[in-house]
Amino acid sequence: MGRTPDMVKSILLAASLLALTGSAYAASAVNLDSEPRTITVTEGGSKQEIALGAGETVQFCANGCFVTMPNGDREALTGGETIEISGGVGRIK
Amino acid sequence: MFDLIRRTAFVILLLPFLIGAAAAQDAEPQQAAVSTLVSEQVSALARLTARTDAVANTIAANAEDDAKLVDARLELEDILRETLAAGVAFRPRLSEINARLQELGPAPATGAEAAESELVSNERKALTAEKAEINVTLGKAEDLSVRVNGLINKIANLRRDLFTNLLTKRYSIRDMLSSQVVTDILNEGESFRQRVGASLRFAFRFKSQSLMLATVLAFGAAFIASFLGRRLFGRMVRRDPAVEQPSYISRLSVAFWSTLLPSVALIVFLALVSGLYQSYGVLNQDMAAYLDGLIGVIVIAFLVNRLSRSILSPDMPKWRLIAIEPAPARIIIWLVTALGLVVGLDGFAAIISDRLNSPLSTTIIKSLVAAVISGLLIVSVGQVKPFVDETGKSRPWPLWFRLVLFLLGFGSIIAAMAGFISLAQFISQQIVLTGTLVTTAYIGLLASRAISDEGGFAETAAGQWMKTDKGVDDAKLDQYGVLSSVIINVLLALLFVPLVLFQLRFQPGDIAAWLTKAANGFQIGTFSFSPLAILTGIGVFALGYFLTRYFQRWLDGTVMARGRVDPGVRNSIRTVVGYTGLAIAALISISAAGLDLSNLALVAGGLSLGIGFGLQNIVSNFVSGLILLAERPFKVGDWVEAGAISGTVRKISVRATEIETFQRQTVILPNSILINGAVGNWTHRNKLGRIEVPVNVVYASDPHKVRNALMDLTKAHPLVLRNPEPAVLFQGFSDTAMQFEVRAFVADVGTGGQVRNDLRFAVVDAFRREGIELAYTLRPPVAVVVEEKQQSGPVDAPPAEAKTKARPPRRRG
Repeated sequence: MGRTPDMVKSILLAASLLALTGSAYAASAVNLDSEPRTITVTEGGSKQEIALGAGETVQFCANGCFVTMPNGDREALTGGETIEISGGVGRIK
Repeated sequence: MFDLIRRTAFVILLLPFLIGAAAAQDAEPQQAAVSTLVSEQVSALARLTARTDAVANTIAANAEDDAKLVDARLELEDILRETLAAGVAFRPRLSEINARLQELGPAPATGAEAAESELVSNERKALTAEKAEINVTLGKAEDLSVRVNGLINKIANLRRDLFTNLLTKRYSIRDMLSSQVVTDILNEGESFRQRVGASLRFAFRFKSQSLMLATVLAFGAAFIASFLGRRLFGRMVRRDPAVEQPSYISRLSVAFWSTLLPSVALIVFLALVSGLYQSYGVLNQDMAAYLDGLIGVIVIAFLVNRLSRSILSPDMPKWRLIAIEPAPARIIIWLVTALGLVVGLDGFAAIISDRLNSPLSTTIIKSLVAAVISGLLIVSVGQVKPFVDETGKSRPWPLWFRLVLFLLGFGSIIAAMAGFISLAQFISQQIVLTGTLVTTAYIGLLASRAISDEGGFAETAAGQWMKTDKGVDDAKLDQYGVLSSVIINVLLALLFVPLVLFQLRFQPGDIAAWLTKAANGFQIGTFSFSPLAILTGIGVFALGYFLTRYFQRWLDGTVMARGRVDPGVRNSIRTVVGYTGLAIAALISISAAGLDLSNLALVAGGLSLGIGFGLQNIVSNFVSGLILLAERPFKVGDWVEAGAISGTVRKISVRATEIETFQRQTVILPNSILINGAVGNWTHRNKLGRIEVPVNVVYASDPHKVRNALMDLTKAHPLVLRNPEPAVLFQGFSDTAMQFEVRAFVADVGTGGQVRNDLRFAVVDAFRREGIELAYTLRPPVAVVVEEKQQSGPVDAPPAEAKTKARPPRRRG
């Protein structure tokens, strides 16, 4: 009976912890090459070119999208994947 | 607006559906046979394209129908998901191809010396061709997704335009006011009568059994519902005339429940009637639509009447929520009920016109009449003088309220007269339906606020029950009050927000789309947020918490209590089990929330730095607590001495230990002190303890006699142990006395004080009897000079005796 406040506290703690670490849902792309690369992302009805500098990481595509890699390969993403670009080739981890 | 009932049911059904849908998505099998993969997905995309075409046609054909547009959008979102899934299905094959191509290496330059074997070049060719095909298909899927998104945007624009049109569409009233309209309306009435009559005759003649059965079933269900409702909630909805001054909270809760419960019961009954008639095939489609319309009228009028009656309570003024006099209250109830009826009938008439394909003019004229009547009714409410001032004269509404009512009432009449029929309808509908919903929700909110107030919960029926039957104290009751008010607020939001949104022309599909979006997560900047995942995590954690507590209680109360396990061990095991369970629950909940533990590692890395600097005390206490639990130098209930603190251990937790001193002061001692310092435990292995009583005797006494007397009286005490034997020690000679000491062992050191006390009494008694004299130090007497206070008053002052008589001396005590 006397456990309710404890419980509330624990849940709040857990919730804040979850909120703290809750950024695992967008897809991200990282450019491992030494030169800038461009990927094309089609998300929500619009095409968008995303330029990635050497070593740069970007987050995009929360709810699914299509991506065209620098070498012309296409991929469909559900959001949550990590793409590594090396030598102009994108690989999904 | 008449399918309110259906929509309510829809909302209730929505959540499980959504959750199910989310689960189904995850479970979708992704390993299609590799050889047929491309052709399969191509045909799937073709199907999706065909569906998109169909939806596009629907949109074009139903650009005026809000509900159809929302359905179309839901369908489009579904197509979008499937398109994406079709794209994702290629992923395993694509990575296979890529890996194989990398293994094969690039094609050698033409004219290179070492030409590769034909086998390799053929395989490379085949793989490249397949990859190209997949790329083309993916491109098609991408195009389709762009197109579907475009359609979704188009729907949003169409719906925005629709709403603007609704409010600004103008009909020419003058053209419609002709003798033709009157005949049209009369004709409509006649054909309505005929159709209904024919359907009813058909139903009675050929379907009489089904009709009877459905009616009896519906009535039976309604009877059971109302009987159960009365039994369960009877106390909540009854106004007790015997109560002199009903509290605010009981008035609120009676008003809220006496509106909600009968309304829900009525809605359930009518929905049951309609559903049963339809499923038994008693009614044809037209009749079913009429019945639904009629149900709408009844529900609206009943709800409005019930609500106004429970707020104003003209029959029992003590129970009213707003201080409006009974007579004007009755008038207001009639007026708003009539308003509800008019709005409901307007909708019903629209259904009839729609079913009978009447000319537009009849619909418009009927709505015009309804709008004018409702405008007049609203104005009349503003005219009522509901209050009474001190002199007994009637007082009108406050000016602003009257102005709002007049503005709405006259505004609706003028708008209707000028041809803005839809606008006028919209106004009166919003006043009646949204007004009703918002008022009911507001009463609920007020009640929940009253419950969360200090001591509010104790006044409610549940609070009373807890207090008397369960013996819950006031502080706990207060916490429960806050908790229940939170629950009430959440329920109110869940119930009324969707209803009000429907009322404001949002479609169920809108809400479904929002919920889907909320469930799948949305993105704010680069931070993506998924409420459903987090809720799942919290839910799993709560479940784990309760399971741990349950297991703990079972282990402690059943297994270990029966096994006669030592209380200290029990406490240690319980604590360790509790913390372990919580840790496991936290880990499971994090993975259930779909979170990467690597993110957590980052946090932990940051924390470890913090531990190095700031948290080392806490961590050292924590570790000490674990050691205490494992090593158990003392247990709960032990009498310990740590430094200057001596008392009983009350609770050992992981950071600190609570010790209650004999003055009943609770000392919270950090565990590291208990581990690093010396801790004395009086009751470590056993509770055996030695007590000492010093006794000083004058030199005139015989020391043997003294020793025997002391020995006898010590042995005679029931709490003194025979073994180890008590002893009397002749300790020394002082200036004035021979010093003896009685030493005895008691079984429970806690009783030592009592035994010492008893022994001292016994010593004095025995020495008096035996003629032994106790020693004491003679101190020279201190002369205390008490000066008589001289009366320095006048000579003829009354004598002291007279004074005492006049004022009796005050007694203390």
